[in-house]
Amino acid sequence: MITIYKDKKDIPIHMEYVEWNDLFFNKNTALKLDGRAAKIIEQIDEAKVISKFQIRSKFHETVVDVDCLSTGCKTVLNVLYFPDKVFCIKECGENALEALYRLSRGAVYSNYAMIPFDMTRVCAVFGESSREIDDYEILKEWWHHER
Amino acid sequence: MNGKPVVMEHFSTVHTSFLLNFAFTNNITILTGVSASGKTLSFSMIRECMAVDEAVLCLNYLDCRRDIKELLRHTKGKLIVIDNADILLDEAARKYISLDGENQYLLIGRNPENLFATKENLFELVNKKVGEQTEFSIQPYL
Repeated sequence: MITIYKDKKDIPIHMEYVEWNDLFFNKNTALKLDGRAAKIIEQIDEAKVISKFQIRSKFHETVVDVDCLSTGCKTVLNVLYFPDKVFCIKECGENALEALYRLSRGAVYSNYAMIPFDMTRVCAVFGESSREIDDYEILKEWWHHER
Repeated sequence: MNGKPVVMEHFSTVHTSFLLNFAFTNNITILTGVSASGKTLSFSMIRECMAVDEAVLCLNYLDCRRDIKELLRHTKGKLIVIDNADILLDEAARKYISLDGENQYLLIGRNPENLFATKENLFELVNKKVGEQTEFSIQPYL
């Protein structure tokens, strides 16, 4: 279950916040990719991993560097490989959000609602309180109105 | 904002096996949609044109240390293309863009907040094969 922060002030001091997912991925996550990444890359970007740093793109099936992955896909992989950091999810599309919410752990931030229609249980943190939410409308309400 | 485009109604370019053909109906076009649809690839193709087309200005996360609103205020008569717009644009920059009648905007992102946008401003990418090339165009976001 992922943890969601909607206020940067609530991110624990020991957890680094990462805003630019492309940059972080290219410098850190790309070096750690293993078998766990292939399914996510295929699911979000419809690309196939063909070597440690190369994928076969859905466009023309050309082989390109993993830096060509979408920002949404890079964000999900960042969360997967660095569960001790908090990543901005504002650049995730619906397909990336679906994969993100299915991760067993990790932490993310957005000050406005970023919820896939097909959501799973998350831990929502605000101020001193945290609660588990598994309903789209309730999570949306938490994001919009609980201040 | 439903103003007509003030700089150009059409932008097209070619990058090897990719074609880009965008028709603008609004002065602010918000390009949204699922991840991996080709938005950042399109941005790269347009940015390449900055070398030869003075009417184009492209900004992305590499410009995060610049004062975007101030930069926009000193820019006239350009198609300003902004990738990573959801993070790069703060409230002040968004409000400036919503009222700027001297530039045209193509914003790549998902958050229309403070842009006074309606569904008329929202577009998504579509692609089709044209021979051995792939052509990107934009269509209203449903």
